[in-house]
Amino acid sequence: MTVRLLQLATVIAGLAGWELIARLGWVDPLFVPAPSAVAPALFTISGGALAGLADTLGKTAVAYVLSVVLGVSAGVAIGSVRLLRDVLSPYVIALYGIPKILVLPWIVLLLGYGTTPAVFYGVLHGFFPIMVLVMGAVRDVDRTLVTVAQSLGASTWQLYWKVLLPAIVPSVLGGMRLGVVFCLLGVLVVEMFAGVRGMGHVLGSYANGFQAPELFAATALVSVASIAIVLALDHVNDRLSRWRG
Amino acid sequence: MTVLGLRLGLLALLLAAWEIAGRMMNPLLGVPPSAVLPSLRDLVLLRSYPDLPASLWLTIREIATAYALAVAAGLGCGFMLGMHRLIGGAWGPMLAALYAVPAVVWYPSLMLFFGLGAASKIAFGFLLGFFPIALAVLAGIRQVNPQLVVVARAYGAGTVTVFRKVMLPAMLFTLVGGLRTGLALCVIGVVVGEILGSKAGMGALINHAYGLLRTGDYVALVLVTLALVVGSDALASQLERRACRWTE
Repeated sequence: MTVRLLQLATVIAGLAGWELIARLGWVDPLFVPAPSAVAPALFTISGGALAGLADTLGKTAVAYVLSVVLGVSAGVAIGSVRLLRDVLSPYVIALYGIPKILVLPWIVLLLGYGTTPAVFYGVLHGFFPIMVLVMGAVRDVDRTLVTVAQSLGASTWQLYWKVLLPAIVPSVLGGMRLGVVFCLLGVLVVEMFAGVRGMGHVLGSYANGFQAPELFAATALVSVASIAIVLALDHVNDRLSRWRG
Repeated sequence: MTVLGLRLGLLALLLAAWEIAGRMMNPLLGVPPSAVLPSLRDLVLLRSYPDLPASLWLTIREIATAYALAVAAGLGCGFMLGMHRLIGGAWGPMLAALYAVPAVVWYPSLMLFFGLGAASKIAFGFLLGFFPIALAVLAGIRQVNPQLVVVARAYGAGTVTVFRKVMLPAMLFTLVGGLRTGLALCVIGVVVGEILGSKAGMGALINHAYGLLRTGDYVALVLVTLALVVGSDALASQLERRACRWTE
């Protein structure tokens, strides 16, 4: 209870301090508008920005579904076959580790502007964390369970479906929680770099047009949307882990 | 042995596939490895981009400044939240929630405020590096066994001694891991900032080569930047190993 009050007080104090600084003229309103200027901007931009947000979230959803499906299947395949894991692991680590921004210009050259590079780049961001987590989980599945299942005559299909999959569920959920932010990040970066639609493009054009109140309002809109998505996933995670027992 | 052979075989296969695909593609877009090498030579000999050393140095300085700020603020903020129960309970979740926002949404605001120069890249690198460091401090403090602190205090250890002898060894592993992640993210932040909009630095050169469809030069510049990224992480990993040896 005290914690909630303190959080609320922090937000209010932050907004009030910001308003005061802006009113006193310590910052140029051209660059940092007061909250009282940002709030009305929320309404004026709502038409274009909401359409942009919907566009961005649509691309993110496609990229996310692809990342989860590809990441989980690749993670299970590579994690469960010893040779594949040994051979591929340095490649996976290298591809996971390099800053993907470096290949972005080339992706845009190859795939052009618009939806395709955004989805591709989103998948590039979301795929690896999910795959690496699932790969590790499959590798660390209790050997005893596998041996027992095999000695009781389980088929390969049963082994995957009844032993491996239930064991890796927490990692899959963890990867899904991590992956969604990365997918959104990838889509937004492409929209800023070479977008014609979407929230990244909206943010970029407000910044280029020195429309600070609109820019701040749009930034707040995306932030709230992504925090809401992550909190919702956390909630689902909680429910599912309680259900697993 | 077989594994190593297969790894090298896969690498050769990938390079060969890239070579074939690159030759079949439009030469403005596809660059086979055989065309990258001459571009890389021209770049290193400063024929294609004479201002390469200056750009590289600028990027390194931006990264160093951003990282220094991120370490100072991350450690300060992390210890403040970790040591104080109420403040930590209230602000910790807020920090974690802000971390869930894809950081790139702040970049246009930073660019508007700090301009196209080095300051906006430093600010963005700082923003990316700050969170993992602060969160690592918080997680590290949670790993310290409170009983040990109580016992040390009961035996008359002062705050500094408790910190040096009890807390630091217990949390060092997590802390150093966070510092390494922070450096990696600082580097990414600076490079992302430069590519999204800048007048100088490696990102500006990459954008220049990309904009003029000098794809060979673009790949060479990417390789040089990649060397910077890998080098900084190798340095961090060395320091990490040394710090962890100290606790043993």
